[in-house]
Amino acid sequence: MNETTAPAWPRSDLDDILARTETGLADDLLPVEIFNDSAVFQAEVERIFGRSWVFVAHESEIPNPGDFVQRRIGLDPVIVTRDGEGGINVLSNYCRHRGTQVCQTDQGNSRFFKCNYHGWTYANTGELVGTPFLRRAYGEPLDGKEWGLLRAPRVDSRHGFVFASLSADVEPLGDYLGGAGWMLDALVGLHPDGMRVAGPPDRYQVKANWKTAAENFAGDIYHVPNLHGSMQEIGIAGGLDAGGEFGRPYEFGNGHAFMGIAWTTAVHPGFEFWGYPPEIKDHFDLSGLDEMQVHVVTHDGPIVGTIFPNLSFYRGIAMDGSGLSSVITSFRQWQPVGPGELEVWSWQFVWTFQDEQSALQDAVIGQMQFGSAGVAEQDDTVAWEGAPRAAASPWARRERMMFHFQQGNKSEVDQSPDLTWKGPGIRRLTGFGEHNQLHFYRHWLRVMQARDHSAEGDR
Amino acid sequence: MSAPTPTGTTAVDADVYTAVATFLAREARLLDEGREEEWFELLADDLLYTIPIRQAAEPRTAEINRSAFRLRDNKMNVRTRLNRLATGHAYSEVPPSRTMRLVGSVEVSPGPGPDLVDVSSALLVYRQRGIDPHFDLIPCRRNDRLRWTGEGLRLVSREVILTETSLLTPNLGVLL
Ligand code: FES
Ligand SMILES: [Fe+2]
Repeated sequence: MNETTAPAWPRSDLDDILARTETGLADDLLPVEIFNDSAVFQAEVERIFGRSWVFVAHESEIPNPGDFVQRRIGLDPVIVTRDGEGGINVLSNYCRHRGTQVCQTDQGNSRFFKCNYHGWTYANTGELVGTPFLRRAYGEPLDGKEWGLLRAPRVDSRHGFVFASLSADVEPLGDYLGGAGWMLDALVGLHPDGMRVAGPPDRYQVKANWKTAAENFAGDIYHVPNLHGSMQEIGIAGGLDAGGEFGRPYEFGNGHAFMGIAWTTAVHPGFEFWGYPPEIKDHFDLSGLDEMQVHVVTHDGPIVGTIFPNLSFYRGIAMDGSGLSSVITSFRQWQPVGPGELEVWSWQFVWTFQDEQSALQDAVIGQMQFGSAGVAEQDDTVAWEGAPRAAASPWARRERMMFHFQQGNKSEVDQSPDLTWKGPGIRRLTGFGEHNQLHFYRHWLRVMQARDHSAEGDR
Repeated sequence: MSAPTPTGTTAVDADVYTAVATFLAREARLLDEGREEEWFELLADDLLYTIPIRQAAEPRTAEINRSAFRLRDNKMNVRTRLNRLATGHAYSEVPPSRTMRLVGSVEVSPGPGPDLVDVSSALLVYRQRGIDPHFDLIPCRRNDRLRWTGEGLRLVSREVILTETSLLTPNLGVLL
């Protein structure tokens, strides 16, 4: 963007780069090319975003019949609608006649989408319900289902988080999420009414690879004292150095990974529930949670996490510098835009039970830390822009430069799985080791190498 | 919060208009020259500085959501941001972006009190960060309310209406 010449993205031989990734990962290394390569990116769009459950919206964004938001699954624009029956539909935003985009807004309320080119009209279930000059033009009605907008074959939701898959051939959402679904339930299930979005997403484009953001939120606690040290210097954050020591990482399979913090040990024994203040905490009703979930949210609540491929969250106590503090919850999606470009979609979430004033405070403080103007996130965006530049470097490519993921290999810290852990997945008792990042990339490689790519034409 | 909606330039005297235009120009120059502390002096203690979220929507009035914000700062929040920049470790702005703020289309109208004026202006920020080979442009329109004080004009409220729905600059580490 804003460049005088379009960047020429490097392109590798895909099988070669995946083979090198496999060799590298066996040694906890990653070839730089995967962060900026058009062959890799194209395969990601087809093999990952085209064949996995991908988050598209939260139900609180489309509460009423006719509500819709325009979203993306990989590079595909989709319309997420609430139909008259209360059902949720995920529809391709390309007219079946000539491909004009039938929805030209980010959100709205409408029972129909009328294509502006020739006027084909679709119901918000995707069905084609109108074609101008029907008799003269077509003689008889076209089959509304056959000529409807493409529909994502699988749509399901968990605690209001709507996921869709462009491939019918996926395991059920609950199986796909596994332990990550269990942890998501715990995060947003502290009250039976759950959480809602505070507003539309804050969106901004970063010249970074989507995987870098996803791996960071999977549990990169190592960067916090350095990159975000300025927040501690001015007194709006504390204890940033302690993240490694008190980190409690979880690997849930399928590339999902969360990072807990042992809050009640690290801060003080009363610092339960992420430090939520009494006026929020007093509303909590944990009756829907199991014993391990109750333990986790009380003592070790996750601060970040990534649901593969590109949905992450942050929850933590945040200060705004004027004497106010809130526990903020931000979900964010790393939209792939190009081999070295992503678009951040960041939502602040608030509890459904919160009154307007309390919700506004949490959302505003959330934005002050995480969002395009966030004093934490601003710095991440810049740090993340390095990887695609390194990946495009002729020198780095010639030298077959690898990124270092061997942090834990010779560390004196015991990183073995917590054998007392009774919840799903693997839990460890230290934030050191970059295990979550490796978990993310190992799954990425598995999906990229899976041989069943019948939908692809050219392989 | 009601947004100031200036109706035109005819309602204020030329010297008021000149004072306001000079204020905006001075602000822009202080920020371009990295003189944030001097700029901070121009803020009223009861400042409210907001950047609402904008989306593609119909009708046009539905584009801007005045209950959801990229940023909603009081003066202390702005102070906090400046303190962080001053640490030298606010890495998105180390070194500080080189900027050029172009202010134009200034319209001034009487505010809701004798000491207040409402101002609408267009702002185009050219930004080049660190060693970026490219530049970013941040276009916006600002609805400001200024107060006359014994020391001159002070900024009471600013609402920044970004032209873009999805920013093409990677963060709002620069003040608008
Ligand atoms: S392209 Fe949509 S009606 Fe022709
Ligand atoms: Fe970060």
